Amino acid sequence: MTTLYFLDAAEFTDVSAVAAAQPGARVERLPGYVTVTSNGPLIVDRRATGVRHSVWYSALAAVGHGRVVQYDKDALKVEPTP
Amino acid sequence: MTSPTAQVREQEAAPGGAAIHPVRGINHMAFPTFDPAGTIGFYRDVLGLPLVQTMQVKAWGAEYQRDFVHFFFDIGNADCLAFFYYFGQEPYRDKNLPPLLDLGKHVALHVDTLEDLDGFHKRIEDAGLKLQMRVMHETVESIYVRDPNDILIEIARPLRELTAADAVDAMVTAQALLDILAGDGEPTLDALWARKAELIASGVPA
Repeated sequence: MTTLYFLDAAEFTDVSAVAAAQPGARVERLPGYVTVTSNGPLIVDRRATGVRHSVWYSALAAVGHGRVVQYDKDALKVEPTP
Repeated sequence: MTSPTAQVREQEAAPGGAAIHPVRGINHMAFPTFDPAGTIGFYRDVLGLPLVQTMQVKAWGAEYQRDFVHFFFDIGNADCLAFFYYFGQEPYRDKNLPPLLDLGKHVALHVDTLEDLDGFHKRIEDAGLKLQMRVMHETVESIYVRDPNDILIEIARPLRELTAADAVDAMVTAQALLDILAGDGEPTLDALWARKAELIASGVPA
């Protein structure tokens, strides 16, 4: 299971929401963080989030059991690791 | 009953860090200048920051010391930005500083409102100076200008207030960074993300 952690702050809400909207994703609120977990790859389309570049490139707070294979102007893609 | 560690974390997580240490801002930051006319013109006349104190000092002590003038501009909260002009000192500028490190070294002044930021934007442009950038960062909007000493000056206004979540995340990030730097692996952002997730999952920020 791969988990993406986003800081629970207003500027990152749209990023975590787009991450959470994909099939198979589960959302949880921890103190200070919003997490999105999936058994498969997690993909976030930057344009779908609508956030500015500074927010986009600082949105990912932590990654549990996953490997970031893409994080650029188009998308964030994280694949599960054992 | 809350544990002492948790109490410290609560205090450290308090926005602004009020009442947990005695520091009250910057007394002054000081830089050498080789261009007092440009420096006074920039800070006092362009930015409108009053010159509030000067000292003229006869060289004493170390043999490399020179006679100098030390002058202070008010930057709010009784904090000051200060400069030294050393008589007879040859100008020096590090032309080999890599751009990344140059940008990483800057002074950021705080203003409260968009109107304040726009006011400084206009002052800079009206003076014919080049505005380096205007950027919406994560939690501040900033303008950047070079002073006559080539110091990068940022003026920033908050986009939101910092919260306890920001302070907790700062602690977790710092701990993760220290952990990966002390480890055997290559310190990378990927390693930081992974270590942060471990710390959060283990309840460290709770």
